[in-house]
Amino acid sequence: MRAATRTVALGLLVGLACAASQDGGSPAARVRALAEAGRLAEAERMARAGGPSLAVPLGEVLMLSGNLAAADSAFSVAIRARSSDRRTAEAALAELSARRGNASAAERRAEALVSAYERDQTGWSADDLTAVGRAYVLLGTDDPQAFKAALRAFDAAVARDSAAVEPRIRLGDLFLDKYNAPEARASYRGALEVAPGNPRALLGLARVLSFEGNPEATAALRTSLAANAALVPAHVLLGRMYLDAEEYDSSGAAAARALAVDSTSIDAWALLGATAFLGGDSVGYSRARAQVFRVHPRPALFYSEIAEAAARHRRYAEAAQLGREGVALDSTAVPALGVLGINQLRLGDIEGGRALLEKAFARDPYHIWYKNTLDLLDELRTFKTVETRRFRIVAPAAEAELLAMYLSPLLEEAYDSLAARYEYRPPTPIRLELYRRHADFSVRTVGLTGLGALGVSFGTVLVMDAPSARDPGSFNFGTTAWHELTHTFTLGLSAHKVPRWFSEGLSVLEERRARPGWGADPSVEFLGAFKSGKLLPVTRLNEGFVRPSHRDEIGFSYYQASLLCEMIEQQWGRTALVAMLHSYRDGLGTPAVFSKVLGLTPDALNARFTAFVRQKFATALAAIAPWKGNGPGEGAFVDAIRAAEALEAAGKADEARTALERAEKMFPEYAGPSAPALKLAKLYAAQGNLRGAVAALARYNALDESALASNLEEAKLRQESGDPRGAAGVLARVNWIAPYDAEVHARLAELRDQTGDLAGALLERRAAVAAGPADPLEARYQLARAMARAGDAAGARREILAVLEAAPAFEKAQALLLELRGRAPEDRNR
Amino acid sequence: MRRVLFALLIGVGAAAAPARAQGGATYVLLVTGLSGEPRFARLFDSSAAMIYDAAKGRWGAADSGLMYLGEDPSRDPARIQARATRENLSARFAVLARRSVAGDLVFILLVGHGSGEGPQSRFNLPGPDVMASDFAGWLKGLDGRTVVLVNAGSASGDFLAALAGPGRVIITATKSAMQRNETTFAEHFARGLTSDAADGDKDGRISLFEAFTWAKGEVARGYERRNLLATEQAQLTDSVLARTVAFGTAAAPSDPRIAVLWAERRALEGQVDALRRRKGMMDSAAYDRELERLLLEIATRTAAIRAAGAPKP
Repeated sequence: MRAATRTVALGLLVGLACAASQDGGSPAARVRALAEAGRLAEAERMARAGGPSLAVPLGEVLMLSGNLAAADSAFSVAIRARSSDRRTAEAALAELSARRGNASAAERRAEALVSAYERDQTGWSADDLTAVGRAYVLLGTDDPQAFKAALRAFDAAVARDSAAVEPRIRLGDLFLDKYNAPEARASYRGALEVAPGNPRALLGLARVLSFEGNPEATAALRTSLAANAALVPAHVLLGRMYLDAEEYDSSGAAAARALAVDSTSIDAWALLGATAFLGGDSVGYSRARAQVFRVHPRPALFYSEIAEAAARHRRYAEAAQLGREGVALDSTAVPALGVLGINQLRLGDIEGGRALLEKAFARDPYHIWYKNTLDLLDELRTFKTVETRRFRIVAPAAEAELLAMYLSPLLEEAYDSLAARYEYRPPTPIRLELYRRHADFSVRTVGLTGLGALGVSFGTVLVMDAPSARDPGSFNFGTTAWHELTHTFTLGLSAHKVPRWFSEGLSVLEERRARPGWGADPSVEFLGAFKSGKLLPVTRLNEGFVRPSHRDEIGFSYYQASLLCEMIEQQWGRTALVAMLHSYRDGLGTPAVFSKVLGLTPDALNARFTAFVRQKFATALAAIAPWKGNGPGEGAFVDAIRAAEALEAAGKADEARTALERAEKMFPEYAGPSAPALKLAKLYAAQGNLRGAVAALARYNALDESALASNLEEAKLRQESGDPRGAAGVLARVNWIAPYDAEVHARLAELRDQTGDLAGALLERRAAVAAGPADPLEARYQLARAMARAGDAAGARREILAVLEAAPAFEKAQALLLELRGRAPEDRNR
Repeated sequence: MRRVLFALLIGVGAAAAPARAQGGATYVLLVTGLSGEPRFARLFDSSAAMIYDAAKGRWGAADSGLMYLGEDPSRDPARIQARATRENLSARFAVLARRSVAGDLVFILLVGHGSGEGPQSRFNLPGPDVMASDFAGWLKGLDGRTVVLVNAGSASGDFLAALAGPGRVIITATKSAMQRNETTFAEHFARGLTSDAADGDKDGRISLFEAFTWAKGEVARGYERRNLLATEQAQLTDSVLARTVAFGTAAAPSDPRIAVLWAERRALEGQVDALRRRKGMMDSAAYDRELERLLLEIATRTAAIRAAGAPKP
């Protein structure tokens, strides 16, 4: 998700006072209608021909085309003439002053308007009330209470004239600026009810959809541009979407279109500047910056906008630096304070980030992101930190010890493995934060609840859900940690310039390499989409992550990207992956990277990838039908499962088994719902074929990284079959899926005892205690026993004494104490 | 003949001795109410069955002192004696009042759903429900006995205020009548009473207070594991009395050799208690040394007791 554009406060979204109570055929209404449709030259001609009575509409048109000095003159004419729309002119002049960086003049004008309103509102029209609302918005920069007054003024305008469009649009902008999407949506919809097809209201809805990460935002945006091709904020938003998809040419073109209409638009210059900055064009960036300084003496917003774009491209250190430059220009600019604070948190400077967010929040107490983040930081103070050689694991105090038992060795192993593969060692310590509430993880990541991801990497700061954030069996926290750590390597090696598809593809690939069954699996729908040509071509794979066109596209894109990386490694070698990362670091775009490292054009690579997938999944593809684009997949494989289910329901177990065995051969990599291997396991078990059941469960569990029930079942059957070592291996997998089950830890400890893995048994006894067992004294007694068996007599003695201190009558513990006391004297003194 | 206590007999020649503060027999009345759905019926039946078997096997309750009224006797004919109706319940209380005497323990467990508030709080039965005010009247006939009444149903909280009194421990699964969702307390409480997990001090006995505390913890843990807001908080009156009501073994031995060792051990356990109270005022090394010494002495006595033939609890 990305931040809503803050285009309200400085009046960058120029309004048109379109009170519908005005005669639709009046000259002012006709000028505004032309301007609303983007016909600015015509609108200007008509306004000029209308004389002083059209001074305000003329001023509005001139502002839209960036002719600020002339707009100033036009508004001044209206004020001097004390025309009926002079208050609108006053508000516009205040906004104009703010836009040009003259904060004191802006404040003076806004205060004058507000004072007049607060003295006596008698006879104020809807337009006048809208004007005072605009003034309050300007004053809100220094006095947050003014935003509430702005809301009231806009509401009053709507109440005064239910057909008024402008105040509704202004309300929507204000709500969205404060991250209140539902209210914003309602306001824009209200505007469209009054003025169907109003381009600015359509743009507002597109902004809401974009804020919500809804793929329909692009279509909505195009609708607004179809209504007004000269709508600068729409071009800017479209440009931002291209920028987020790393389509720099398109984002630059969108900025150019906006600047062709209004060469003074700071937002448009910020978009052009961001395009240049992210594309490595330092000359272009400097040029954009110079232009902005001509319009505004302290353009903190220019820097904060580019900082936000940099952050969306995972270039957090640069985002922080840009934020710092914005704050240096204007230490009161909330967006600059906020973007710097948020990115310092992402870089691990918790206290520095907190201080800045406190300042930002003090100036804007309606900012949900800052508030949520500050609340979260208060909570973070109660967390516990476990340090390893190269990591800091930060988790809720009740869970930190348990999670660190497993994460510490895994992360160290992952670091060494990835360092060898990528020939790069990121700076340490690397910080991993785990949150037991998904909403907290979401706030830490994007400031708002509702993010669907499991983990995020900011570089050397990783954030993820703790296993307790989700139902047991819904995800595997080991593979998630490995995935996020891989991002640390790929981001670091590429100076954070790696495109999203490549970073995610490598992370999923590394998951698969880490442990059997880890990493995403192919689904029927994915292969069906491949067969029907509905997968994105490799050059557009980024869109699958940032602008998915359908619900399944994100999941497809993760898996597709990992297959592409797998193919590159197989056919060009591991070093090709490293060389690609270096090339991105050096500023090359994706086609140039393909050409340089792989010697292929994007189309050629796409063709190679198609052949690779076709060959890798040849068997499965033969049994899967092309996917229609929605709904479940179809084909012979699905039919075979359905047929087997029907046979089973009819009591024909043997035939069902045969059908399932056939289905499994059609798509052996399948680990989704109704997987043949799982159903076979049940059938085999019902028929007393334990060996067959275990084998079927093992096949399934080797594919699904978070299969809790089937792993527990496999462990149970292996134990019953007299295979404690196999059962122990299975329960070790369960620890990554459901680590809080003390009974599982106890069972695994017993199995490890049986197989002579005393160190492993000791680890599990520690975990059983840390997991908060139902019988803590029994668990600690068992821990003491395990310590003694593992050779730590002194530790065992300390533990058993603590147990007996709490329960002196505990006979088993007494016996152990006597046993330990009977050991060699030198042991007693440890 | 004095009835056998709920405590199991221990070892050679061990005479029955109270495992609780008071002497006397134990009477158990189990009631499973209107379930509404098969899954609740299964849960209610299994919780009650656990307690029934423990009362019969481990607590030593005589058959005539063990009563079980259920929603549907055909679901468990070996244990359920009659249908859980208002009339049958009233009749059972009359029997309890007739058969028990002062000093006996009367343990009543209600497993089911509830509703209502205050003295009109209800426990749902097939047919007319019973209210807290009904129990208040019935319990008057049990004055002088130690009465434990556990209402493990939803919306049971107001039974506490309605029924609390001297010589009584009242336990409810919810803290108020507003907690109306189905409860999980019964299954945890039944497990706590009948397994070693709830034996917090590992003395081989499970006190009512230990079982309650353990069950309350397991209830909370269950909601946490499922990432749900807890909709039940159990409560209990008179934790002091609850600590003295115990289930399990701990009768004093009659063999003189064992009795001496047993008494020495009890005295040493008392010294550990006293030492723990002084912990904050002692040098930590001195404390550790003395603690270990006492614990070794205790352990040695236990080993000797077992070696002399006394079986483990």
